[in-house]
Amino acid sequence: MKRSSQLSKVFWPSFWTFVVAAAMVFPIVWLVFSSFKQTGELFSYPLRMFPTEWTASHYAKVINDGFFGYVFNSLFLAVVGTLITLVISSMCGYALAIYRFDVSYTNLIFGIFLLGTLIPGETLTVPQVAVISELGLYNNIWGVILPVVTTTTGIFMFRQQYLSIPLSFVEAARIDGSNEAQTFFHVMLPLGTSSTVTLAIFSFMWRWNDYILPLLVLSEQRKYTIQIAIKNYIGFNGVDWSSILAASVMSMVPIIILFIILQRHIIGGLSASGIKG
Amino acid sequence: MKTHHAKRHVVAFWLFIAPCLILFSVFFLLPLILSVGFSFTNYDGWKTMDFIGLSNYGELIKDIKFYQALGRTFGYTLFSLPFKVIVPLLIALLLCSKRVAIKSLGRTMVYIPSLLSSLVVGITINWMFSAEYGLVNYIIQSSGGTPLEWALNPRLATFVISFASNWASTGFYMVIFIGGINNIPADLYEAASIDGSSGLQTFFHITIPMLAPTTFLVTLLSTVNLLKEYALVQGITQGGPGLNTTFIIQFIFDKGFNQMQYGYASAISLLVMIIFALIAYFQFKLSNGGEQK
Repeated sequence: MKRSSQLSKVFWPSFWTFVVAAAMVFPIVWLVFSSFKQTGELFSYPLRMFPTEWTASHYAKVINDGFFGYVFNSLFLAVVGTLITLVISSMCGYALAIYRFDVSYTNLIFGIFLLGTLIPGETLTVPQVAVISELGLYNNIWGVILPVVTTTTGIFMFRQQYLSIPLSFVEAARIDGSNEAQTFFHVMLPLGTSSTVTLAIFSFMWRWNDYILPLLVLSEQRKYTIQIAIKNYIGFNGVDWSSILAASVMSMVPIIILFIILQRHIIGGLSASGIKG
Repeated sequence: MKTHHAKRHVVAFWLFIAPCLILFSVFFLLPLILSVGFSFTNYDGWKTMDFIGLSNYGELIKDIKFYQALGRTFGYTLFSLPFKVIVPLLIALLLCSKRVAIKSLGRTMVYIPSLLSSLVVGITINWMFSAEYGLVNYIIQSSGGTPLEWALNPRLATFVISFASNWASTGFYMVIFIGGINNIPADLYEAASIDGSSGLQTFFHITIPMLAPTTFLVTLLSTVNLLKEYALVQGITQGGPGLNTTFIIQFIFDKGFNQMQYGYASAISLLVMIIFALIAYFQFKLSNGGEQK
């Protein structure tokens, strides 16, 4: 009797967890199975979970439309954008933390960067595109990378991280004769690893999923990123469902795999990185 | 010697922050200044750029479509906001319970939708809600109901967008709530149980008040994200039927990039920026920044 009541104490919360988790991933599972159904089956009743006849033809069509070219463009954007973000925000966060007693206006400069979180970027897109064109970066992948690599979140994370490291570390390195750049690269940068990993994952995801700037800046089809290629299957006469299902699945696979491998850093990093409330 | 060092440190400081500061100035501060400038002109993104004074603002305060877009955005935000905060909170509480066996698997699965791009989120949910051959209508029909025109009815279309938005953000806010829950000192719960507090009493008198700062953060983040909803809508209704799901950011983009009224779009942007800031400010004031009185 006692045993069974204890079992039910564990059973119901676990049961509800299972229900919630299954419901959350269900739309994705449904999308994935749909993408392997033949076009005829997609648009006929009754609907079934699994394809009656599996087909990869939608994937073949999307790949034929040049999808791997778009994958390459998105990878370039995500990898290069993330590398730049990591380098410049670690430098900036480091300087804002370490020179806080040498430079009296560090807080003022940090405040300027904080404007980036107070003003939603979307309200600045119109003049931003004008600036990108003036710089000759229209229809150029750099016109999509450079405007977004400075993230206040990144600067903030590194600043917090370096504020927690005693200044005596820096002093010790200086006494040992290391110059400011050496101190940063050899002594301090390795201490910032946990921020680096968390920010790298998030930045990669943000850039992979970027939509507004690539849509407005990249005009030539061969320069499209995945998101824009997907968007192009939504036409004036409706949605090309069979292609968009396959393209959407292909766009989410890398990011989900990356997440499952590195999830400890994401969930741990999020709840430990200053977003604590 | 000392001043020499200090000077060297100032130089190093500027060199370290230079890349961020330059990029931020060119792609954020400059556009901010430009949007003020553009708002006094009839700039068309191409050749024309004449100073027209306050005409854009004069036009804006009479623009019925602007008020409609703003009103729709507020309606959508108010409708979605409670779900955005309460659903992740409940899931976080469930997934922090000691009695759940598959905790980390559960967290992983709930988080997965947060990884998708807004566009793909829109497409995924839209696929389930399509009027013909959509799963939801199929279930309604199979259980004897009449299928709904999800895309043609303004209210239903807004509901689908809100559903998609909630689905995608739940995992992210859940993680923030889990962080908040784990920060509540365990001895508070011990003291409560010694005093004979029931589960519900503990929840309302300890968990909820202790989570106030986290709840405030989630409310603030979701409000801003709802107000600027754009990419998701492109995967579902593209703003239709008619203009019924055209929210304020899409309204600005349509004016700027489709109708080539950069000047007018800049004026709207500035006004919207101020409205968003005021909303955040009032939320901050009302909740005392999430601190308890």
